[in-house]
Amino acid sequence: MSPAGLTPAKRAAITAIGFAGVLGAAWTIVAVLTSEHTSPKWLVLALMLTIGGSFTATGMYAWARRPDSWFGLQLSLVGLTTFLTALSASDDDLLFTLGVLVGSLSSAVMIHALLGFPTGRLRSRGERAYVGAVYALCTVGPLALLLVTAPAPDLPRNVLLVEENARLGDVIDAILRGGSLAAAIGAVALLVLRWQRATIPERRLLAPVLWSGVATTGALALSLAGQMLDLPGRLLNVFDFIGLFLFGSIPLAFVTGIVRQNLSRGHSVGRLVSRLGAAQAGRGAASLRDALAIALHDRSLSIAYWMPAGTGGEGRYVDAAGQPVALPRPGSGRSFTEVEREGRKVAAIVHDGSLDEEPELVQAAGAAAALALENERLDAELRVQIAEVRASRARLLDVVTRERRRIERDLHDGAQQRLVALALTLGIAEQQVGADPEQAKALIREARDEARLALEELRELARGIHPAILTDRGLRPALEALASRAPLPVALADVPEERLPPPVEGAAYFVVAEALANVAKYAEASHAEVIVQRLNGHAVVEVRDDGVGGADPASGSGLRGLEDRLSALDGRLAVFSPSGRGTTIRAEIPCAS
Amino acid sequence: MRVVIAEDSVLLREGIARLLQDAGHEVVGQAGDAEDLVRKVLAHRPDIAIVDVRMPPTNTDDGLRAALELRERAPDVAVLVLSQYVEEGYAHELIGGGAAGVGYLLKDRVADVERFVDSVARVGEGGSALDPEVVAQLLGRRRRDDPLEGLTPREREVLGLMAEGRSNSAIAEELVVTERAVEKHVTSIFGKLDLPPAAQDHRRVLAVLRYLGARG
Repeated sequence: MSPAGLTPAKRAAITAIGFAGVLGAAWTIVAVLTSEHTSPKWLVLALMLTIGGSFTATGMYAWARRPDSWFGLQLSLVGLTTFLTALSASDDDLLFTLGVLVGSLSSAVMIHALLGFPTGRLRSRGERAYVGAVYALCTVGPLALLLVTAPAPDLPRNVLLVEENARLGDVIDAILRGGSLAAAIGAVALLVLRWQRATIPERRLLAPVLWSGVATTGALALSLAGQMLDLPGRLLNVFDFIGLFLFGSIPLAFVTGIVRQNLSRGHSVGRLVSRLGAAQAGRGAASLRDALAIALHDRSLSIAYWMPAGTGGEGRYVDAAGQPVALPRPGSGRSFTEVEREGRKVAAIVHDGSLDEEPELVQAAGAAAALALENERLDAELRVQIAEVRASRARLLDVVTRERRRIERDLHDGAQQRLVALALTLGIAEQQVGADPEQAKALIREARDEARLALEELRELARGIHPAILTDRGLRPALEALASRAPLPVALADVPEERLPPPVEGAAYFVVAEALANVAKYAEASHAEVIVQRLNGHAVVEVRDDGVGGADPASGSGLRGLEDRLSALDGRLAVFSPSGRGTTIRAEIPCAS
Repeated sequence: MRVVIAEDSVLLREGIARLLQDAGHEVVGQAGDAEDLVRKVLAHRPDIAIVDVRMPPTNTDDGLRAALELRERAPDVAVLVLSQYVEEGYAHELIGGGAAGVGYLLKDRVADVERFVDSVARVGEGGSALDPEVVAQLLGRRRRDDPLEGLTPREREVLGLMAEGRSNSAIAEELVVTERAVEKHVTSIFGKLDLPPAAQDHRRVLAVLRYLGARG
């Protein structure tokens, strides 16, 4: 596990903390062992070295592990301020006074660290105000006391003493004790509140540190309360001892948390792998999600699958049903971890924000599940494609139906009517042929004209359905015929001479026909160009004009119909139409060579 | 004139045979598909073969292909191709190296019996007949720097009738002007389009067709 984001500056800072810790420990040993007013020396020395050393070292480890979090630094500062307390063991008046002054600073830093865990940042204005008050209590309080209180005769002199005032000293002492008790109770309350508000995955992370913090501050509160209630000294010593013991256990709890995390991570991922085996055996997406949710202890976990660009649009995330999903934004309390396989994006695991504290766990789970996720992703992709095929099939059917209605109407209004008129004219001519041969002749001529018009209309209609030349001769001659009928000059370039599969020829022909019809109707172009090329197993059809541009592919049923026709062949249609710079319609139709 | 008719619709085939017989021609053979046509033409050596484009066996452009084959194998037999559709491209294929004895008409034209019989006779005698719709396609095509814009409307009309394969006298009759006036128009057109003057009608068709086709 390599600590991510450990900058040289932070590395230097951690090293500096290490030096400071060694210096502090050495000073503590010297100060306590040479002290004339400290006893029992060995117990005090053992306690101070244990607490100061363990906090400093654990803090360094925590900081190196999570360089982005201030928690490690704060933990180290608890240790270093503990070493400062050893100043009061000095026989020098100035150092002794200073030691008393900063003696309770380590408690304030510890409360700060506990409340900030795991990011090292306080969450609310209330928490910040509380921590500020604790710092004030632990600095201003001793200062005020030192100004008016003289130490016991066997202790070094208090250099800050202005004028001894026993009454004022007692009052300040009482205020300090009351404040400390309130602060300890407040810390317990805030920690419990945090616990209650934490999500389940957060709780797993918070548990060891939070509960040892609660126990420590709780013991501190009991000890303070005991002193105020004037409990017997022996009992008070027990509370103090328990408090100190718990205080020393905080780094241990932190390390326990990490070890537990690592164990549970290995365990989780191990179990995940075996569950994935079961999920593979056919229980599908739900069980893959469940397996990940269990492994990461996050019941709210969900999976988004990556659809690369090309499967009907830009790259995007979809759910297992193929519906597009949005990934959570930063700061929403939800987060996500992207899973890649062989350098390609596969999926995103959407999870509780607290799991960002354990990126390695989520990444390990993602890596273990990558193959299964890739399979699920392919399934989702298939569903997306099926949905698109369904939609396009429905539209195609719609196009066919509309087309049939149009043909029926054209036949009914055109050729059919003319043939009825023709039959009628011939009937009248037949009646008159004896009586008025001249009139009959004129009627027959009229009938012939009707027949000619009917034939012309049928011819146009048939051409619109499928031009015979396309079937007979293929794309190039058909496009030449189309170009020659266009009301503007149309140049053909690169149209392949060989025959293509009939559906490809048909699609390409109608792309050009529709495009040229649009050019004639809207483009105000002076000429157009048609290019058909075979590229990478595709027939690529382009129709360009030099007209006004600004065509909107979304409007116009003609282009939409073409799109459906193309998508039935897995083809694509693109329209480039910058305003004032002509229009290019480009169709790509898969066409094996 | 001896005629072979190839048309898979019996009704239409019999109709055409009847109106040609009425006009004094001799129908020496009738064919229902492309292979039958080639066989009968090679056996009978008629003056003209009248061929439908869409015929068995494939029901696509078998008739046209058979007509092209006959141009190769029996150049002395004139060919008049009939079709439900006329395409400029097919006209170029058919006329290829020469317009003599080649006709290409919409099937509908049979209804105008007099003119149809006229076209059959003209093609059979080594002339040409190109459908007005093909000509309209040729003349109607838009070009950049269109040279046809230099022609007067009357000259365009004359050009069109020339492309159909009409003689000067036929054009004069159609436009109700003197043959002399037609000659003047033709000279003017050839001058404006920078075409070498052609004496025979079918050479004229070829020249005009090549000119218009090449300018696509």
